[in-house]
Amino acid sequence: MICFEAGRLLDAFVDHELGPAESADLQAHLVSCTSCSQLLADRESLGRLVRQLPYYPAPDQLRAKISRMSTRPRFNPSLIAWAAVLALAVSLGGSVEVVRFARARQVVETTASVAAEVVGDHVRALRDAHLFDVRSSDQHTVKPWFLGKLDFSPPVEDLSSIGFPLVGGRLDRVAGQPVAALVYQRRLHPINLFIWPAADRTAASDTRSIRGFQVRHWIRSGMSFWAVSDLNDAELGEFVRALQR
Amino acid sequence: MPRQTFEEVVLPHLDAAFNYARWLTRSDADAEDVVQDAYVRALRFFPSLRSDDARPWLFTIVRNTWYGRFPHAMGANQPTVYDDMKHDRPDDSLDPEALVMQQQAVEKVQRAVRELPTDFREVTILRELEGLSYKEIAAVVGIPIGTVMSRLARARERLQAILGPSATPMGEPS
Repeated sequence: MICFEAGRLLDAFVDHELGPAESADLQAHLVSCTSCSQLLADRESLGRLVRQLPYYPAPDQLRAKISRMSTRPRFNPSLIAWAAVLALAVSLGGSVEVVRFARARQVVETTASVAAEVVGDHVRALRDAHLFDVRSSDQHTVKPWFLGKLDFSPPVEDLSSIGFPLVGGRLDRVAGQPVAALVYQRRLHPINLFIWPAADRTAASDTRSIRGFQVRHWIRSGMSFWAVSDLNDAELGEFVRALQR
Repeated sequence: MPRQTFEEVVLPHLDAAFNYARWLTRSDADAEDVVQDAYVRALRFFPSLRSDDARPWLFTIVRNTWYGRFPHAMGANQPTVYDDMKHDRPDDSLDPEALVMQQQAVEKVQRAVRELPTDFREVTILRELEGLSYKEIAAVVGIPIGTVMSRLARARERLQAILGPSATPMGEPS
């Protein structure tokens, strides 16, 4: 092993993230190389210092607030919204309606949160120029790539015949969960298609526009689909209909 | 097995969430706002949590919340005024002189970490203070594992350059 390679592996070694074979190779090199073992000693003493950095525990008032929040029913309505719900409930006459409207309100909120997240992911992927972990127009390359990376298998369709070539896929996160993100393209407009098992309480379908991006959502065969693009609504609609066929 | 509740799964990680947010925002008030918002979102998203370990999941939500509230903050690196040292935990097994030296070294490293660019600062905190694996950090930050490794290496090189050989007693410039 040469010093350059040893330097590249040093941090993973310090962090116990190196496989046994690479660890053994590196250790063999360290025995014979004083400058690399000096680097290791530096890293270790830096690590000891950094681990003494202050650890900030949550302040008591924050803990109290959050405990209250999580033991209450899980909506956090404004007075006006509740007044509206109550007025409706009274006019329709029945506690069943109150429950139904509270649930409907939660679905509306969750759908809006998820829509904002997928747009955020779309923007971030473009800004960081990190659209693909796997770059391929072949659905039989992209679909197996997700095996072992997700606990579900996303459907991957080839839409190049109607002018939406597949360009790749990557792992992304929505609502803190790993999801599949497929990237299609029309002319210069990328389309991110996010897919995950439909366990969250969003609406069954949704169409909206956020900061100039078109968002389409639908649920099919137990999977939740969210398409995001700067493409115009008509063309994104065409894309969505092709996937729903 | 009955499904565990939000209180059982997510609430125990409140200190970790706050510590991470505090290091991201470098402000008590901002960290409180971010964590409170993050818990509102976590509560909403809880039914869809599929993983056994809620901690990386919660970090992801804290990070997205922070990024949503302070979109300009990511990548930016305004050095901030250095304020309190009240959270320091000196090692009292050392003699008084060594204690002072150690205290100074920790103060210096704290200042250096605070002034790291956000990209470097957050991987450093997730690794060294929260003890996340490379795989977990990759998931939280949304970068490949190889990038986690190189980012940590660059963050440490930068810290060593700032701290110089005096803070890392065994070190010599290479």
